[in-house]
Formats: sequence, C-alpha cells, structure tokens
Amino acid sequence: MGRVTLSNVTKRYGDVTAVEEMNLDIQDGEFVTFVGPSGCGKSTTLETIAGLTTPTSGTITIAGREVTNLPPKDRGIAMVFQNIALFPHMDVYDNVSFGLRLRDYPKEEIDRRVERAADIVQLEGMLERMPDEMSGGQRQRVAIARAIVREPEVFLMDEPLANLDAKLRVHMRTELQRLHKELDTTIIYVTHDQAEAMTMSDRIAVIDGGHLQQIAPPLTCYNEPANLFVAGFIGSPSMNFVEAEVTASGLLTRDFDVEFDPTQLSEIAEGDAVTLGVRPEDVYLREDRETVANPTQPIPARTDVLEPMGDEIFVYLLTGDGDAQMEIDAEAEAPQNQLLMSVDPASDVAADTDVEVVLDRERIHLFDTESGEALSHGLEFATVEPGRTGTEAEGDD
Amino acid sequence: MATETPVDDEVDRGPFERWVRRVIRNPERAYRAMFYTAMIVFLFTTLFPFYWLLVLALTPFNRLANVGLFPNGFNPEAFVRIFEILPFHIYMLNSFILAAMTTVFVLVIASLAGYVFGRLQFPGRGPLMLAVLAISYFPPAAFLLPLFRLFNGNVTIGLFGASISSPNLFNTPWAMVLPFSALFMPLSIFILTTFYGQIPDGLEDAARIEGTTRLGALFRVIVPLSAPGVATAGVLTFIMVYNEFFFSFLMNDGQIPEMLYESGKLLYLSNENHWAPLLKGILGFQGQYTQLYNLMAAASIVGVLPVAVLVVVAQEKIVSGLTQGALKE
Repeated sequence: MGRVTLSNVTKRYGDVTAVEEMNLDIQDGEFVTFVGPSGCGKSTTLETIAGLTTPTSGTITIAGREVTNLPPKDRGIAMVFQNIALFPHMDVYDNVSFGLRLRDYPKEEIDRRVERAADIVQLEGMLERMPDEMSGGQRQRVAIARAIVREPEVFLMDEPLANLDAKLRVHMRTELQRLHKELDTTIIYVTHDQAEAMTMSDRIAVIDGGHLQQIAPPLTCYNEPANLFVAGFIGSPSMNFVEAEVTASGLLTRDFDVEFDPTQLSEIAEGDAVTLGVRPEDVYLREDRETVANPTQPIPARTDVLEPMGDEIFVYLLTGDGDAQMEIDAEAEAPQNQLLMSVDPASDVAADTDVEVVLDRERIHLFDTESGEALSHGLEFATVEPGRTGTEAEGDD
Repeated sequence: MATETPVDDEVDRGPFERWVRRVIRNPERAYRAMFYTAMIVFLFTTLFPFYWLLVLALTPFNRLANVGLFPNGFNPEAFVRIFEILPFHIYMLNSFILAAMTTVFVLVIASLAGYVFGRLQFPGRGPLMLAVLAISYFPPAAFLLPLFRLFNGNVTIGLFGASISSPNLFNTPWAMVLPFSALFMPLSIFILTTFYGQIPDGLEDAARIEGTTRLGALFRVIVPLSAPGVATAGVLTFIMVYNEFFFSFLMNDGQIPEMLYESGKLLYLSNENHWAPLLKGILGFQGQYTQLYNLMAAASIVGVLPVAVLVVVAQEKIVSGLTQGALKE
C-alpha cells in the first residue's frame, strides 16, 4: 500500500540546508499537499521521495519498503512535473506507454492500460498526436496519463498546474480531485499556491525554511495555525497581526485593548510580548456586533481603502487616530496600525470615514512574538463584563 | 563650389576609374567583387586538383608524359582496370568498415563523456575537459612509436610474477580503430557536451521516474533529442577516419586476404585479418618498377565518391549541428 514515511530527512547542498529533519507520515490513499513559499524546500523534499535526489541523512519508506537509496524506477512512484516534461520526440501513445514498454509489458496489456488512462483523462483519439501539436492543458493531461498508466503506489506532483492559465488551473484542480477519488492512490502534491492546497488536500504540510511548520487538514491549518508563519501563509487575504503586550487584565496593543484573564493561559505571563492575529472575516463593524456571540470592546478606526470583490468588501482600516503608522523599516509592507476587515457587500461603508469595529473573541489567535508559536486560538474563555472597561478601551489611542 | 562637382563627372579617366568611382559611391559593389574574387580563387584551388586527377585518369598510360590542360587521349577503361589489377573495392570496403567502427565507438564513448561533461556538476570538470581538448592538439606522430611497439606485441607487463604481452594487433582493424578513436574523440565529446547540456533536466528526470537508469535516459531520451548533434559528430568522425593518412599508412602492411575458391570450396587463404584501407589500395598501383599514375588517379576519384555522397546528403545536418552548437555555447 502507498504509505510514505520520512524520518529525519535532511538535504544539504554544500553549506545550504534545503531540508532539515523532515518527519512525515503520509497514509495510503491520502492527498497531501506540500505548500510554502519558493525556495522553502518543498520541491527538494518531493525529489528525495522520488529518488531524483538522495537525502544527506534520514530514511524514506514507501509502502513499507525502505527506498532511501533506491533509484527512482524501483520506488513504485510516478511523477507529474511543473514543466510537464513530455518526450518531444514521441507521440502521445509512446509517451504514455514509455514506462510500460521499458518494463516489457505484453502489447495487449499496454494497449488496454493506455486506453484506460486516456479515457480517465479524456484524451481519446489523441494518441497519435505529437506533444507540440497539443495545448498546455492537453499536454498536462498526457503527463497525468503517463503517471497513472503504470498504476503506481504513490503519485508525486510538482506544481503541475503552475504553467497553465488561471481558468484552466481551476478546471484541472477539480479534475485532479476527481482523479484522486477514482484511483484512490496516495498523492503528494507540491504547490506554492495556498488556494490549491486548501481546495484539494486531505492534509496540508506547510513548509518554510526547510522545516515542516504544520501538517494538518486544511481547515485545521486555517482555524488553528500552529505558528505565525502558517497563520500568515494560509488564507487569502492573510491574517491581521497586531503586536501586543500581556497585562494583568488582558492585552494592550498600540491602539486598543482586548480584555481577558491572562492567568487562564499557562504559557503567558504579564509583560510578555505576544502577537494577536485575527482574520479579516472575524472583524465586524460595531453595528453588526449582535451577530457575534463574544465581541471585544469597540475599537475606533478610520476606513482607508475599499476593495469591493462582489461577494464581500475588503475594508482597510487604520486603527487609532487614522494616520498610517509606518515603521522605518524596508520590510514593512503595510502600516502597523492597518487592520483588514471583510464586510457584507450590503454594508454602507465608505472610504475615509470614522467607524468602530469589534473582533470576534472566539476567533482571536495569540502567538508568542519571539518564537512565533501559537499560544491560543480564541480568547472567549475570560470575558470580562462589558461596560467595566469599555471607556478605557475607547479612550486609548 | 557648385561648379566644381560636375567637373569630376565630366572628366573621363577610363573604365577602371569609372568603376572605382561607382564603388566609392556604393560600397556594396566592392564587397560583391571581393566575394566573387575569393570564391573563384577558392573554387579553383579546391577543384583544380580534381580536374587534374580526371585528366590523368583519362590519359592512356603510354601517353602520360607532357600532359597539358586536357587529357592526351580518352581512356575511361582506367576506371575498370583499377578493380581488375587489384581488388580495389575490398580496400574501399575496408576503409568504410574502419570508419564505421570508429564512428560507432566514438559516438558511444563520446555520448557518455558528453553526458557527464554536459549534465553533471563535479569538481575538476573544467580541468578534465581541458585535458581532453589537449589530447586533440597532440601530433599523431608522437604516438606512433609507442603504439607501434604496443600493437606488435613488443610490450610486456610484469604482473604478480606473470608477464603479459601486449596483443599483436598490427594489420588488424584494431590497430587503426583504437588510435583513430583516441584522436577524433575530443571533437565529438565537445559537440555532444554542448548538445546534451541543452536538454532540460525535467526530461531526464521524467525518464528516470518512468523506469530508465541514467544510462537509459541518455540513450532513450537525450540522444534522440540531440539527433543533429549526434549526426554531426558521427559524420565528421566518419569523414576524418576515411580521409586519415598517418595511421592508415603505418599500421598495416598493405595486404588484404587472398582467397582461392574452386567450385565453392576454399582452397587457399592467406593474410586473413589483414585490413589495408583505401590508401593502400591507391598506393598499390605503384609497383617497384612502374607507377601506374593513371590508375592511381582513377582510384583516387573513385575513393572520394562515398565521402562526397555522404557530405551532400548530410550537409544540412552538419551545418545546422555545428552552428547550433556554436551559438548556444
């Protein structure tokens, strides 16, 4: 069965460590996506599984067999490449049957399997064509047919949709999911696109700097990110982060307070520097606070820019006095006091007006600023009676 | 000032000066004239020896003295006689086989070297390539004495008390194929390195995933996709071996097998494994007392034909192969 295990896999190129101490256990039939920014080590990890690269240390097992030093052809894998990599001097039939012919399958068996693969990826009647006579999507389907025809234990896909145009990419995304349902084979998929990862996978492995940050089902990565990197990477637009300090009565940020009882969280103590994270859809206008079971005190802010998307409007808010607070720092991409809010398109919100917003306490994430580790998902457990500190919150800019 | 310019046009200094004036106004004419002059000189120096060979071949042997620009008589029979006096076709076949063997040998080994130099990164790659290049600069004469002794069984190596004599390869094809391969290998390595280096890594990875080894990927994917380069290297090697003089002259005694058949039964066989090439066939018309110049000339013309045909057929591939390699490097 197609279970893939990586234990302590490390890959170094000279002084550069591409992958460090990677431990993964991928179940048979699972669709796992490696996601991360470019150069994070996700492709290198896939190449070590494929056997195109030998890890510096660590072991890899596929289907219960240790394959760390086996050549790619003996690993029971098939791979779809980003640049598609069809053999340009062979027609579709020869491309798809290449692996079977190498393994000396009988002619009838090859024909039967090629027919079936062509049927699955809807390439009937194109077996005689040369790759340069086909469109990008058709070529990608040939590459997938070439992978499925050998009935491997594991499919490896290295950004297979990256070179396709946006519309075709979305279409192929559903086709790949359908294929996974049909074949029920382990698929390891590499992408830098978090939307692809979210939509297709059973589990997402978020990788950054050669380290595995979190491996969990997509919604867990979204709702309970393990650290600041995962929180910022998964979800589009990404989560709002606000620097904060733990006080005796909750959190103190530059422009507002969030009341809670810090003793309820064992990891933090008064005076700790923490980062508050909240997704745009968990920020509400004050007039909508009834829809939130557990809102924070109203936070004064000024709307800056609106981005109507049709189904929602993204509102860029500047908390505090409404001036953009830019740190003197080249890395800062946005004002420090910027808060992104997603509101219903029916809301009558206008640019450059003063508003008050609330955060959904159950959806506030707390991270240790130093290590980036998540401390808590949700601050609903220590609600302080409203009214007692409301004026303080509003008075603070 | 306005009156001075027409004066220049009116003065007629003769045809050459008029031509010069036109050339100064239109430099294209000068380049064209230079091109035609160079082409005519080049064609003359290249083709005249062939014409002269034809003149000699067609002149009857007894009228060979004082041959002018045209043959003294017309004797096409020489082209038949060359096959009657000697089995000239056997010599040609030998040359063809030697060239083909060398080409196969060179292509296989140069493919491996080209793969390594073109697609793998390893310490010492530059110096190694330089060493390969340096070999092609050596004069073949420098190798002659050691190789001659080696191929005649005169080199004995003591190994763990036993002594091993080098094999006696003189006259066999190997005495020629081995030095040819060594001498002509570097050019092929360079051509193939350039071509193999241009094949995308993804294709090789795909082939290896699909079930080939690295070697399998080389011969099933990389070589077919580099066909123009492989053809160029192959044709150049073939022509160089076919045209080679030095080792062809010195590594055999000019004999070919002599066989006597009677009613389908081999009665007599000598000189088996003697593989004298084309060159020795042409020189074979040079006896101790007579030099059959007309037959030597006819044999030379016949000997050129296979290569001429090959060049005409493969010309386009060779040109595209050489320039493609040159441009992309």
